[in-house]
Amino acid sequence: MTNLIGNTPVLIILLPLCSALLCLALTAVSKNLGSLVVKISCLGSLVLSVIQLCMVVSGGTIHYAIGNYAVPYGIEFVIDSLNAVLLVAFSLMGFLTVIFAGNFSDNKNHFKTAGAYAELALLITGILGMTSTGDVFNLYVFLEITSLSAYCLISLGGSRGVVSAYRYMLVGTIAATFYLLGIGILYATTGTLNMGDMSNILNEGGHDGAMLVAMCFLIPAFGIKMALFPFHGWQPSAYTHAEPGSRPLVTGVMGKVPALAMFRFFYCIYGTDFRFFRIALMLLGILSVIGMIYGSLMAMGQNDIRKILAYSSVAQIGYISLGFAIGTPIALAGSFLHMLGHAFMKGGLFFCTGAIRYKYGTVDINDFGRIYKKMPLTCGLLVIAALSMIGIPPTAGFFSKWYLALGAAGQHEWIYIAVLVLSSLLNAVYFFRLIEKVFIRQSSDLKTRWESEVLELPVTLIIPIVACFLAILGIGLFNVKIIDVLLMTLEGVGL
Amino acid sequence: MRKTITIILLITAVFVPFIAFNVLPVIGDPSSAPNTHVSDHYIEHAIDECNSPNMVTAVIVDYRAFDTMFETTVMFLAGLSVIMILANRPKKKIFAPSSLKRFRESGHPIYKTVNKDVMISIIEPVILIYAIYVLFHGEVSLGGGFQAGALIGMTYLLDVMVVKREKPIFNLPKKRAAAIAGIGPFIYALTGFISIIGGGLYLEYNKFPFPIHQAELHSIGITAVEIGVTIGVAGTIITILNALMERISFDDDIN
Amino acid sequence: MMTLINTFLADKGIYMLTLLLLSLGVAGVIVCNNYMKKLICMNVMQVAVIFFFLCLGQKSPGTIPVAMDTVVKASDYINPLPHGLMLTAIVVSLGTTGVGLSLLLRIREKYGTIEEDDMLRREELMTRVEKNGGKRD
Repeated sequence: MTNLIGNTPVLIILLPLCSALLCLALTAVSKNLGSLVVKISCLGSLVLSVIQLCMVVSGGTIHYAIGNYAVPYGIEFVIDSLNAVLLVAFSLMGFLTVIFAGNFSDNKNHFKTAGAYAELALLITGILGMTSTGDVFNLYVFLEITSLSAYCLISLGGSRGVVSAYRYMLVGTIAATFYLLGIGILYATTGTLNMGDMSNILNEGGHDGAMLVAMCFLIPAFGIKMALFPFHGWQPSAYTHAEPGSRPLVTGVMGKVPALAMFRFFYCIYGTDFRFFRIALMLLGILSVIGMIYGSLMAMGQNDIRKILAYSSVAQIGYISLGFAIGTPIALAGSFLHMLGHAFMKGGLFFCTGAIRYKYGTVDINDFGRIYKKMPLTCGLLVIAALSMIGIPPTAGFFSKWYLALGAAGQHEWIYIAVLVLSSLLNAVYFFRLIEKVFIRQSSDLKTRWESEVLELPVTLIIPIVACFLAILGIGLFNVKIIDVLLMTLEGVGL
Repeated sequence: MRKTITIILLITAVFVPFIAFNVLPVIGDPSSAPNTHVSDHYIEHAIDECNSPNMVTAVIVDYRAFDTMFETTVMFLAGLSVIMILANRPKKKIFAPSSLKRFRESGHPIYKTVNKDVMISIIEPVILIYAIYVLFHGEVSLGGGFQAGALIGMTYLLDVMVVKREKPIFNLPKKRAAAIAGIGPFIYALTGFISIIGGGLYLEYNKFPFPIHQAELHSIGITAVEIGVTIGVAGTIITILNALMERISFDDDIN
Repeated sequence: MMTLINTFLADKGIYMLTLLLLSLGVAGVIVCNNYMKKLICMNVMQVAVIFFFLCLGQKSPGTIPVAMDTVVKASDYINPLPHGLMLTAIVVSLGTTGVGLSLLLRIREKYGTIEEDDMLRREELMTRVEKNGGKRD
């Protein structure tokens, strides 16, 4: 048993992986066994990641060398407090999505359902792997697993989904190629692929030119994958047309993991002593500021709720990269808090739209008249997530913006604070429009597809909605504790 | 005009930094960073640490075995994605202008000039034997799981080409092929679990709970992993082939 | 001057060729109108990066990395790591191409074409027809 506990970092990733690999074979044995195994394994990795968080908080950073080879020769997993917190959030989101997805599957074709579950489990594997790996090439492999399963899940959402998946595939492959080229240049300079070792060699000095050229490739690579402002072209249509069951995971989590990888490259590998560091930060700051305004403005003009949320994601990614651009530990912590919070907000909003669509079959906000009477729980989450997006206490969104503003004030970047406030006001405009539609507008008669006396929705839809509601409030109320845990790592790397 | 400008801009954007900063090592320089730092360790210790004279095999299935596991998973994922994408058909087609006609009938991919008796009874067994040789010889000389899997997949391809599609020699519907493609990487993952049971870290071949010499344990580990890779790759190739064969019409020239 | 160019080409020439290949691939993905051509350009781009890594693994007096003797000297063999890495990259590019081809098949079944502007025009036509209540004008 102690043996298994020592292997938690790798077991977290292996559980969803093995379930995905066996899913099809088990479905051939019994109809629902495959999807059941996927659900159980996701729960298992959630439990293990919580255990791992406790271990990291009490015992410090975990280094796990796969195959027990010495560090630059083998692959290493590094779990610091940052990774551990994010792993808990991402595996929770993965588990909720796997439960949620069951309602949208094709019940007639068990094989197709099992395939979709396998794709979902592989997406979770890729996300968790990218979060915990400490090797740049291993990161590439996980990045590709994440992207490939995302292409497939987006294309399952009908013909428009196929076209947007194809476009995403083209730009996503350009991003992956640029990433490979960037790490190729770093490999040519250092001769190693391990992040810690690479950081040590680069910090000896004298490699500024190579680092700058590599950065020229890495910023677009991560920018495309996380849909940062000028590279976001694939994102709105892909988020809109993704398969409804997997949409919360694709939209809520998939964009955050490349942001974490970008943070690793900027702060952990390059380090603040890099000669062009300030210029890179300024560039990132400009991009995120434009993205925050542009995303909010575009979201105001849409009627399809999925499009509103997709464009608002462009703006929210801007907040995260703004934190990286400010660069003080407190701003970085705010950025990661926003990463956590936004995963649940955006995921939660898509759980809501999924639930409304499941019950009434509509996604146009003009049809949402007085829907709160019929679906109180769903509308509760819708309101709390919208308030959190705007940034009203005591929700998660307020505190992340608060820490970002604190960090910006510490660096005397007043423009960033002004843009932060302006973007929040724009958020308020379109989210209050949504809330108005839900509460005040005259009710329109919608046909229910699902009837029950007791519950407004099936239990498997209610669990994710309640969990997201609690998570948004919980992150807001316990923000000091989370920030303390995050600062354990961030104190050493910020400006 | 716009295209020319795009291309020129791109090329300058890529070239200028490389020439300006002189970042890359000279070709073939034995003392450059990538040729010294970790590579020396791989070359000098491949035999005593992994019992594998082929250093590339030592790198991919022993030192960096975790990468290769996910690489096999990428194969499985690609096969799965292809059948998942092709499992649905569009309900309503966007009508084409009358100038574009849909093709009327589709033919079978039979190459009548190939003598199928020769193909099936002589060439295919040779390919299969060669595949197994490549699989088990991978750690000693050139070869390995991917090549063996590709050879087995090619046997199936030949089968489908010379015999009508309805009756191939070994019949694998795409669902079963995809399940097999998933079991391949699972064997790989299971190999790692055995070393955890033996008290080691994941994929630590030294700690297999078998009472044999250390070097032999590495050979067993590498072979088990290669078998998994072979099954995965062969399964994936057959899956993709079957899925595409169902949808593609040959004799597409009418369009 | 000539000797300078000669040494430059001998030392770095192959990098420039691979980078040219890379930029052609990226330009092709951006500029081409046909989706199949975009996919081919994507492959060209991936192959360029594979070449780039293999260039890094060269060592002038080295041979293929299979040990001939029991005593091994590091200077006799080329660097095995880039070859191992690129095996992964090749498999990934194979997977991406497979998925891309099947997506293209779906696009072609739906729209009857894989030219981008043609597709957009048909999409527009279809939305107009849907607004007209299914009448084709």
